Amino acid sequence: MLNRRDLLKLSSVAASSLLLPTGLRPAFAASEDITIGAPLPMSGPFAANGKFGSMGTAMIVEEVGKVLDRKLSYLEIDTEGKPATAVRKVQEAIERGVTLFSGGILSSEALAMGKEVAKGKGVFITTAGADEITGSECNKNTFRWSVPTFGAIEQTVRPLIEQLPNAKRWYTITPQYVFGDGLLNAAKAIFKEKGIEHVGNSYHSLTEKEFSGYLTNAMAAKPDALLILNFGSQSSDTLRQAVSFGMKNRMTILLAWASGLEQFEALGPELMEGVYFGAQYWHGIDSPFNRELVAKVQAKHKMNPNYAFASAYLTTKILIDAAAKAGSTEGPAVIQAMEGMKYAGLTGDEEIRATDHQVIKNYYLLKGKAKSVMKDKDDYADIISFGKSFQSPEQAQCKMA
Amino acid sequence: MIYLFQLVNGIGLGMLYFLLAVGLSIIFGLLHFVNFAHGAFYLLGAYLVYDLTERGLNFWAALLVAPIIVAGLAALTESVLLRRIYHLPHTFHILVTVGLALMVQELVIILWGPVGGNVSTPGALSGVLILGDFIYPQYRLFVIGLTLVLAIGLWWLLEGTRLGAVVRAGSESIDMVSLLGIDIVRVNTAVFALGAGLAGLAGALAAPIRGVEPFMGVEALGIAFVVVVIGGMGSYTGALIAGLLVGIVQSIMTTLWPEGARLMIYLGMGLVILTMPRGLLGRA
Amino acid sequence: MRAAIMNRASLHFVLAALVAIALPLFMRSGTLASEVLIFAMAAAACNLLLGYTGLLSFGQGIFFGLGSYAAGLTLLHTSLPLGVALVLAAIAGAVVATGVGWLSIRRQGVYFVMLTLAFSQFFYFLAYTFKDITGGDNGLLNIPRPAIGPFSLGGSWAYYAFVAVLFLLVFAALQRVASSTFGRTLLAVRDNEERARAIGFPVRNFKITAFAISGAVTGLAGALHALLIGVAPLSNIEYHMSESILIMTIIGGTGNLFASVLGAGFYVIVSDLLSSIWPRWLLLLGGLLIVVALFMQKGLWGLLERLVEALPMGRKSSIKSSIESPIPPESEGRGI
Repeated sequence: MLNRRDLLKLSSVAASSLLLPTGLRPAFAASEDITIGAPLPMSGPFAANGKFGSMGTAMIVEEVGKVLDRKLSYLEIDTEGKPATAVRKVQEAIERGVTLFSGGILSSEALAMGKEVAKGKGVFITTAGADEITGSECNKNTFRWSVPTFGAIEQTVRPLIEQLPNAKRWYTITPQYVFGDGLLNAAKAIFKEKGIEHVGNSYHSLTEKEFSGYLTNAMAAKPDALLILNFGSQSSDTLRQAVSFGMKNRMTILLAWASGLEQFEALGPELMEGVYFGAQYWHGIDSPFNRELVAKVQAKHKMNPNYAFASAYLTTKILIDAAAKAGSTEGPAVIQAMEGMKYAGLTGDEEIRATDHQVIKNYYLLKGKAKSVMKDKDDYADIISFGKSFQSPEQAQCKMA
Repeated sequence: MIYLFQLVNGIGLGMLYFLLAVGLSIIFGLLHFVNFAHGAFYLLGAYLVYDLTERGLNFWAALLVAPIIVAGLAALTESVLLRRIYHLPHTFHILVTVGLALMVQELVIILWGPVGGNVSTPGALSGVLILGDFIYPQYRLFVIGLTLVLAIGLWWLLEGTRLGAVVRAGSESIDMVSLLGIDIVRVNTAVFALGAGLAGLAGALAAPIRGVEPFMGVEALGIAFVVVVIGGMGSYTGALIAGLLVGIVQSIMTTLWPEGARLMIYLGMGLVILTMPRGLLGRA
Repeated sequence: MRAAIMNRASLHFVLAALVAIALPLFMRSGTLASEVLIFAMAAAACNLLLGYTGLLSFGQGIFFGLGSYAAGLTLLHTSLPLGVALVLAAIAGAVVATGVGWLSIRRQGVYFVMLTLAFSQFFYFLAYTFKDITGGDNGLLNIPRPAIGPFSLGGSWAYYAFVAVLFLLVFAALQRVASSTFGRTLLAVRDNEERARAIGFPVRNFKITAFAISGAVTGLAGALHALLIGVAPLSNIEYHMSESILIMTIIGGTGNLFASVLGAGFYVIVSDLLSSIWPRWLLLLGGLLIVVALFMQKGLWGLLERLVEALPMGRKSSIKSSIESPIPPESEGRGI
């Protein structure tokens, strides 16, 4: 006999499977509005970045309000950190008329989404790090705001070598995949040029959490400097464990690809003091646009913007401005408006290079501060140096059709 | 020389893995229950220590309190939820515990955010021990020492007390134990809580080493399964030997073949299963 | 009795066809609809091992991922047609599944499960390491979707039609296998392996064959997935994929193949829906898994059965309830 419980269960199951996808999709605006797609990892291991990225996009959309006389809105798309989900949802969004996308924090997602947006003749601007995005896999519809491996290493390893003339022996810890190799090769080129002895390298897998073995190897090689080339929680784990082994006192540590504020919050000043970090963005950057943004974010959210937030804010703004300039939201028009675009950005004056759609911007070398000299709770590091270093599109192997 | 260092480091890792896995092994031995939520207890133990120390409690007190809370939560979960599904096929054990693990992970994100955090090593132990060329964090040495003491305590519990006898007997014949008039339901809850509490303690101890982040339970679960399978399900000594073996292999691999360190663990598990039907020392 | 069995299987096929027809009517996204059918295939293949042979395999992701890579590599590096790429993917899945199965079935119960898990990690590692072939973490990109004969598959609903046809063919084929002597022997093995062996059935070979068939279908599903998204990502061969496929199979119900279609459809659609509402949607999914395990052990199919039984049709035994759903016996609960 069917009881009420079963009936309720079945009807709710039926309802959710059949009706809602067609009827109640939230936040999908009427066709008069311009909807910007924000594909971000909202769930899964990179949910932290997704959350702040979404906030950044939301803020600029609300701030600008209207473009080309149409209301602006944004569609948060949870990629779950998986390329398959990302591509499918972007495909759906394109089918429903979205042409402009800003997001893609993970390289694997970003690469896959870039292809999809190209098929759909839209525009996609991303902050993912893989060289291929504006290199061998570049395409007309994808733009990238962050600095890839070459620049990240040029702007951290090179100045540090110059600052520490006695540090002649360097050890590297590298995640074993294409991106890690990109960083490592860039570093090795500088080592060769500057006569640095590369005393050893430890590769490790992308899911590794235990670095004590690699650090023991590193210490046995007696380096003057430890170059950490992994990122995210792996870089935090490596640093934390390196400090626990007393390595901070015995050598200089450089974490070439740090995420910035939220990573520093998770680490804390005791761990960070005296350690060098490479970063795409820092809220302490002294540029007019950044100072404005920081003030706005402090007023609205009572916090300082981190990398995910600020980059989402800016990249979305670029899309909006380009659409306004082009007078249209159609892909080809917006692309043309974006190529060669120069603007006042987070890191000062920035330019979108037309040949490979890479934004030319600064990369920063930071140094962690002692707790006693922190001016406020977010003042974890000082900017030591910064600059713009990029390979030419030919060197990056970008052949745009 | 480097291999000697890696050996000691491996022992340190191994003891932690033992602590993590022994609960899973005992739970399976007695309850024949496949617990995919074991990593969630590890996660909770770590986050409780994080939370308590953030609120100002000193590390040692937090280290004591966190596993007890985890054990309590586990006992509650067992009596309210898990008890109902013991009789079901293993597929449902897996379904429920996977569901639980997901819920705990998301709750952790809701309560503490997705970013993760740091737990400072207690001041007294934040230095390093230097013996010639060998440098090793004092805290890790403490962990080795503590887990050794716990291992002995646990062994005594299993071999020397009535509860332990019941657990060992129950692993062989649950009916016999019930016939002897022992309240097997309460024993089950106690064992489950103990196993979970040990996992929570492992998480709490690991927190200063690894920090805390919401997805740390996934890796812990993988390691726990490997150790339990190699050691043999239901075997305390097996978990100890296997834990040490896994820790040492992992550590030495970082010198021999760093990229493959992770893989070796699973390869080892596969080989053991294929060549030794019950793992090293397991039964049932 | 025989007629009832026939009716039952053909009813399931009709239901499957209805689903394939209904999806375009109710869903806005051709891509999502295709994903439903692709995972329905994978879940049905998983069910062949789980529901019919009693083997809980955590290795389905291996075959799915390999199928993706096989199809991707074929289409990228050769000019072989689409059909050949799909066949190669199925073969790749079958071959590897045979190997994995042959080794894994040397152990029973939980050890078998753990062995498949170990294999899953092993193949993930291979895919990740041989990045020159698989693209590593970036995945295999730019996979084309060539036309089949005169039909272009570029549009999402055009591709869906193609997937739907394949789905129904595969579903019918699996049904054939399930209701054949081989299939019924699998059931006997599942229920009491000792007895089956004593009767003289070649239990090992049958289990390995079940693996091979499951691998072939899963490989095909993986290939179709790679074509759907234009990428063969590393995540297709990850442990998480195996876990998801298993969950879909169990939620649907291990009683019959159509149940797997229900399970896959439900999981894919509800995940999509929930993820657009709340970033913490995994919490709800976790809760759902628990609810299913506690109250819906026959899965969604069981729920559907109960609903139909309650309808006042004047007939005591409806077609559906005339035969017991093959659920593993109680004795499995206490130690495998």
